[in-house]
Amino acid sequence: MKPAPFEYQRAQSIEHALGLLAEYGPEAKLIAGGQSLTPMMAMRLVRPTWLIDIAGIDALSHVTIMDHEVRVGGATPQYVLEEHAELGQCLPIIGQALAWVGHIQTRNRGTIGGSMVHADPSAELPLVSVLLDARLILQSARAGRRELLAREFFNGPMSTVIEPDECLIEIVLPRWRASRCGSAFDEVAIRHGDFALVSACAQMALDAEGRCQQAALALGGADNIPLDCSAEVTALIGQLPTEDAIDGIARSVVARLSPPTDLHASADYRRALARTLCVRVLRSALARAGERTGTPAGQMA
Amino acid sequence: MSAPDTNSPSAFLHIGKKRRTKEDPRFVTGRGRFAADIAIPGMKHVALVASPYPSARIVSIDARQALASPGVVSVLTGAELARHTDFLPVGVDAPKVKRYPLAVDQVRYAGEWVAAVVADSRALAEDAAELVEVEYDPLPYVIDPEQAVRADAHRVHADHSSNILFHRKFVWGEVDAAFAAAPHHLECRVRWGRSSTVPIETFVVLANWDAGAGLMDVWASIQMPKYPDQLARALRLPGNAVRVHFDVDVGGSYGVKRGIKHTVLVAHLARSLGVPVRLIEDRLENMRGGDMQGPDRIFNVALAYDDHGVVKGMRIRALDDVGAHAGRSPLQLGKPVGAIIGPYRIPCVEYEPCSVMTNKTPQEAVRGFGQSPTNYAIETAMDKMARSLGLDRIEVRRRNLIGPHEFPYLIPSGTHYDSGDYATVLDKALTQADYDDLVRRRDAARAHGRLAGIGISTCLEPSGGNSSFEVLFNPKNETTTWMDSALVRVDLSGSITAVMNTSTSGQGHETLVSTVVAEILERDPANIRVIHADSLNALPSNSPVGSRMAIMLGGAAAGAARRVRANLLSIASHNLGVPVEALTYAEGSAWVTAEPDRRLTWDQLVEIAHRKFHQMPPGLEPGLQEKYVWEVPTGGGLPTADGRIQMYPCHSFEAHVVYIEIDRDTGKPQIQRYVCGHDCGVMITPDIVHGMTYGGIAHGIGAALYEKFAFSEEGQLLAGTFMDYLIPSALEVPSVSITDHCTPSPLTTFGQKGSGEAGYLGGPAAIASAINDALAPLAQSIDELPMTHEALWTRARRDPLEPVQRGHAPSE
Repeated sequence: MKPAPFEYQRAQSIEHALGLLAEYGPEAKLIAGGQSLTPMMAMRLVRPTWLIDIAGIDALSHVTIMDHEVRVGGATPQYVLEEHAELGQCLPIIGQALAWVGHIQTRNRGTIGGSMVHADPSAELPLVSVLLDARLILQSARAGRRELLAREFFNGPMSTVIEPDECLIEIVLPRWRASRCGSAFDEVAIRHGDFALVSACAQMALDAEGRCQQAALALGGADNIPLDCSAEVTALIGQLPTEDAIDGIARSVVARLSPPTDLHASADYRRALARTLCVRVLRSALARAGERTGTPAGQMA
Repeated sequence: MSAPDTNSPSAFLHIGKKRRTKEDPRFVTGRGRFAADIAIPGMKHVALVASPYPSARIVSIDARQALASPGVVSVLTGAELARHTDFLPVGVDAPKVKRYPLAVDQVRYAGEWVAAVVADSRALAEDAAELVEVEYDPLPYVIDPEQAVRADAHRVHADHSSNILFHRKFVWGEVDAAFAAAPHHLECRVRWGRSSTVPIETFVVLANWDAGAGLMDVWASIQMPKYPDQLARALRLPGNAVRVHFDVDVGGSYGVKRGIKHTVLVAHLARSLGVPVRLIEDRLENMRGGDMQGPDRIFNVALAYDDHGVVKGMRIRALDDVGAHAGRSPLQLGKPVGAIIGPYRIPCVEYEPCSVMTNKTPQEAVRGFGQSPTNYAIETAMDKMARSLGLDRIEVRRRNLIGPHEFPYLIPSGTHYDSGDYATVLDKALTQADYDDLVRRRDAARAHGRLAGIGISTCLEPSGGNSSFEVLFNPKNETTTWMDSALVRVDLSGSITAVMNTSTSGQGHETLVSTVVAEILERDPANIRVIHADSLNALPSNSPVGSRMAIMLGGAAAGAARRVRANLLSIASHNLGVPVEALTYAEGSAWVTAEPDRRLTWDQLVEIAHRKFHQMPPGLEPGLQEKYVWEVPTGGGLPTADGRIQMYPCHSFEAHVVYIEIDRDTGKPQIQRYVCGHDCGVMITPDIVHGMTYGGIAHGIGAALYEKFAFSEEGQLLAGTFMDYLIPSALEVPSVSITDHCTPSPLTTFGQKGSGEAGYLGGPAAIASAINDALAPLAQSIDELPMTHEALWTRARRDPLEPVQRGHAPSE
């Protein structure tokens, strides 16, 4: 388990990193936390000729909270997000998801951008980016900056539309305006910290009467990419969410799945988990949104 | 010297007392000295080329590109190695089943090592290993053990008459008559999955050949009987040309650190290349080609019993898939002969073990040497019997447990159980678990539509390592000696050093020996040094296997210390002018019992022994050191014609009580309460016993719920990394509560029994029992380990029209 030979260089700035990427060509790879890349290199599943280390670039590591969105630098370590009190207030879904990401040790090094570009179909942070309809800022020396929606970014298992000379500079996470907003993340993995067999997350906003103003749902591990289920949850908008409605959403999500079968879970099992988890995260998000005012709203109608 | 009252731990000075272990300070401060910490200048490194096929003829091996790669010293093939070494030993009579460290002419499992690359660094060796071009001609293969036993199956070793390595039906007692007479029968099929122990440290070996001295020095992470001897034979060297250094720390084993093939390979390379050579298996090599996977068994268990759930007879068939080579693995079906009725009063037994080869990674010894799977099979049948009669599982066990006054208890297969009080230990565990409360909790959970179950197991841990399965399973083998030994020395300064004669892989032997020697000599154990001999200056040992070291090494250390103490008393007697019987010895000093002022202190006695020959009693050797070598208690016997034999001398007992809830919508199990009642006689170091028991339970949770070396139908290992071979982490292992009981063994020095396999021998059975109790209201069960999440969900799934339940209730 020694990686194939490679060269290593530490980038001093974003521009430096992009310049090196352009110079060394498609066989070069960026490394930040290295929590996915280094085991894959050790098993010689990937063989970059150059590693360009962006972990020390300050401009890539920040959490900027604004009125309508939160901007997170691509190489921000996961623990920074986890421990960020203000972020926990305004986007609790981030902390809810991070509790499932690996272990404390891996979150100390792993970065949000690393998780995004690694694009494991059952990874938690890509799932949240889809849930929140995040925007991703990519940059290359060749083409400058471009901006994509998270749901346009992932195009297959461990695969994204990022170009070999691009770096994920920033992730922009929209904030919902509603005050009565709740979110939830849940998953089933064989062991805590493993990649999920299936994961789900939801966010819901209620009006003063307890009607659903806005809702989002996303499902991981059940398809090749993190699955955006916003189409299914539109059924809730303007309604007092009921158990039946929630279950109906879960069933309609499951109806369009063609999940993979592997050593640990068959497609049927994943379908069942998908239904269960969709229901549970929608219930929890609803309950939490209801709690935000202390009124009984959020109870099942 | 009067025998201490072993029923009362307070009868001892040091034994049974809470004390800091001797080893742990160096481990927790990162100062362990493992095989990988040893580096010799000029040392070269090995990487392996592994077969991608489960079965293929090796047409050619082209190493030219690899040899031209930077830093490469040599590329060795199996054919070349076989010219210079002899094949590795086989535990049963199957001389045509030949195994070499590297495949010769043919590969028999995916991952088998085909060539070894030696280079200046491990990374360079791996680079070059990719460049070795091997041409294969794929052959038929057999992966399923039930296919492999068939007469028309592809033969894994064409020269052997079939794939069966050992097959015999033992009948002990009137089994047919018992089955004919009993009003009830049941039969069940129970499957133990291919798991193992997977230590943090993989196998590591460093060899250095001194051509001038004609001596092969070996440092290895080894836990294995007769390792130096097997190595010398394979290398065609005299035994005294191999020196194994037993003083390296071993980073875990519980059976699997048997890297004889690794060592023959590396030692040959060191000898042929004239440089020190080291192999540190990486995790991929270890899991796929390190030959360290455990038992993989299909049991058929039949019970004959009466209306009260009293067992009248039992039949067990066990088919064990040992993979592509033999080694010692068939013998793992042999050890359970010594506890084939578990803790129960079963009067007659039929046992039909069958060891079969397939094109899979070979099997190695795992904690309990085959006993835990057998315990699981017996316990599963006991639960099914209770259920078939509508009786309580605990009550059924009580009716069958051997009583405390029935010892020594002769079981049908020829072993005497030494001692025990099984019902009391079970009661203690039930009390500790607050069993009535668990029942209320389970029933309340069920009333709310949740799946909840209580698991019970009552199991034995045979200990002492009287490995009579060797003679039982191989009529050509007459080995009945299973000795161990120690040497105790007091130097001029009065300091005590004890020498043990084998390796340690985490069992705390230094603490064990120092405690025992301190007990006899009444000195402070903290000041007693314990060292490991190397194999050339070692006394005989059969190594720390078979849960034997508390008994055998502890007994040997006590024996040597007693001889030293006798010498001290002899010196005192000679100088004080009174017979030994008139003396009292305490804390190193000896005095005339009637006149306590007439005394000699420790320092005075030691000085006489070392410096004052004129004060020495006639005939006593100068200096102060004694050795003690002894045979395992009850050892030395050969089997009867019908295969009855005394197996291990001592029998520890454990009763597990487990409470589990299963999330019906996800199949996820959650262990919410875990209690283990444990009796291993007198505990020499309770913290070490408890530590091993906690570890054994975690290991058992792995075997029961998570761990499996799964293979595809095409013979490819699917779980070759920790992404897929799932070891439970701290987040999956619940808080465990242990309650101790002490029934001393009458056969051992202090009443101690073995405990190295504790927890693992009853854990899987108890977890399965809890899962099946939880599934019982659905009329479902799972009789296959590991019980995966999906298998649980499949049994627990509800009508898909029913609403999704809430998640788990919070655990305690």
